[in-house]
Amino acid sequence: MSKLSEALANLEEGTVAAIVKEQVAKHADPLTVMADLRKGMDIVGERYKAGEYFLSELIVSGEIFKEAINVLEPLLKKGAGGQATKVVLGTVKGDIHNIGKDIVGTLLKGAGFEVYDLGIDVPSKAFIDKLIETKAPILAMSGLLTPSFDSMKEVVEMVKEAGLRSKVKVIIGGGIVTELVQRHTGADAFTDDALEGVEMVKKLVKQLA
Amino acid sequence: MIKETMTSKQRMWAAINLELPDRVPVAPILGQFDMRQSGVTREQRDANLETFYKAARDTFNKLGGYDARYGLGYAISSWRFNCMRGITVRPGDRNTPADFSVQWHEEENMFVEDYDKIIAKGWNGFCEDYFTRTGISLEQWDQANKAQMAKVKKEAKAWDDRGIMVLTGSLAISCEMNLSLARTLPKFSLDMHRMPEKVKAAMEAMIPDYIQNCIADCKESGIPWVHVSLERGSGSYFSLKDYEKYFFPQLKKLVEGLTGAGLMCMLHMDTNWTQNIPYLKELPSKKCIANYDSITDIFKAKEILHGHMCVMGDVPPSLTSLGTVAEVNEYCEKLIDICGKDGGFILCSGCEVPIDARFENVKAMIDSVKNHPYPRSK
Repeated sequence: MSKLSEALANLEEGTVAAIVKEQVAKHADPLTVMADLRKGMDIVGERYKAGEYFLSELIVSGEIFKEAINVLEPLLKKGAGGQATKVVLGTVKGDIHNIGKDIVGTLLKGAGFEVYDLGIDVPSKAFIDKLIETKAPILAMSGLLTPSFDSMKEVVEMVKEAGLRSKVKVIIGGGIVTELVQRHTGADAFTDDALEGVEMVKKLVKQLA
Repeated sequence: MIKETMTSKQRMWAAINLELPDRVPVAPILGQFDMRQSGVTREQRDANLETFYKAARDTFNKLGGYDARYGLGYAISSWRFNCMRGITVRPGDRNTPADFSVQWHEEENMFVEDYDKIIAKGWNGFCEDYFTRTGISLEQWDQANKAQMAKVKKEAKAWDDRGIMVLTGSLAISCEMNLSLARTLPKFSLDMHRMPEKVKAAMEAMIPDYIQNCIADCKESGIPWVHVSLERGSGSYFSLKDYEKYFFPQLKKLVEGLTGAGLMCMLHMDTNWTQNIPYLKELPSKKCIANYDSITDIFKAKEILHGHMCVMGDVPPSLTSLGTVAEVNEYCEKLIDICGKDGGFILCSGCEVPIDARFENVKAMIDSVKNHPYPRSK
């Protein structure tokens, strides 16, 4: 394991920042640096699953990762464009909760996905427009209120109406989302756990392949 | 229908004191549901608290009655001192309907340097500084507080006269949750990573003021119950090692301070507290209620806390909002059978009954305790 991966896995933010800066100064391949960061995020995920890390550590790792990406991103745009799987993400209409969504967004990026985060209180049509524009195979919707369930359902119905349902897998998430809510909305998967959500997205992508 | 031999108050106290009630008491957390049922908007409630109180009384009657009223709107002094949040987005903002759920938008209102201010000035001293940032003077808050407290007091007496106890006389948002809300969850997580001892020192400085504020509120309102709101310190967020070192000691001091002053604590625990349940055995017996929101394993809580603390919960919001009467009945009967066994249990919604819960589902929850007896060992 590289020092960078190890530092991120151990949540050593100063070390991560220093290594990334050093790599950039040396004109190292940004994709290699990114791969090391992702490996570090993978280890954080493993420790979370093993019960060594908790949500706070996931958040801290995400913040360290984001800082590193801020340094790397300009270089990544210049480099070869990857073929990352695209995910359209957002908190549904009427709901302004952003924290869970933001954590999932960061973890998805850490896992190598290209995330289109539409923000909070997202009009249903905006999800559809973004799915059409990006051809993303994954739609991830977040909500923390019971009225959000109907907003999620509306989006799933609009995905069907747009003829995209066979091409798009839908996952919903939030603290009070249950199997009953999944059935109500017509989503393919649900979760109340950020990291589990990322694992589920990986599985959904495989189902589409 | 179970033959009732106790009043609602007797039934509630039997459950809290871990004795055998005639049936399981039920005390749903209602507020927005009452308002939706009566067509009262948040704006109307804010303009005139009486509209909310009338909605609550009307819904109580329509539901056929329950055993305790969870809250009547918090006294503003608690909001001033024991709760600090980001901006409130009220219904009507962002094109949401006027009777939509209230939501809190978390933004950074407290900064890293504020930990030192809390340590130096205590919580109330810091809040006086903090309030100058909000553009609302302490005098304005005090005036509003007096006006609201007078209404809370009057309404609490009216419920009490009807034989229904009120369970919220003051509010204490746990230290870690308060700081997390004010700093935002990501920033607070970073603070705990970078400077846990400083955060701990700030939390320790908060507790004495918290206790005094709650005692003053409860004395003024005449309601001896403190709603202790817990969420961010749970096993969903932090390790047990962190909980044990940084958060639980503050909760213990708070609860001991309040119960030592003759008050009761409603430990309102949202998110997953399953790993943290055993710590509650270190809190005074029969002085608190462990109130869960459907994410914690309440059956495990009953198993661990039986004989020590009354457990309360936890009909999931998705069930009252989307489920059928049969599904609600099935879940409530399971709760009564397992958590209700030998007393020490109060049936409740998992956190607040959602604004869009189906009336027939909420009624089914309340009726379940009236029809389904709890098992007794002897």
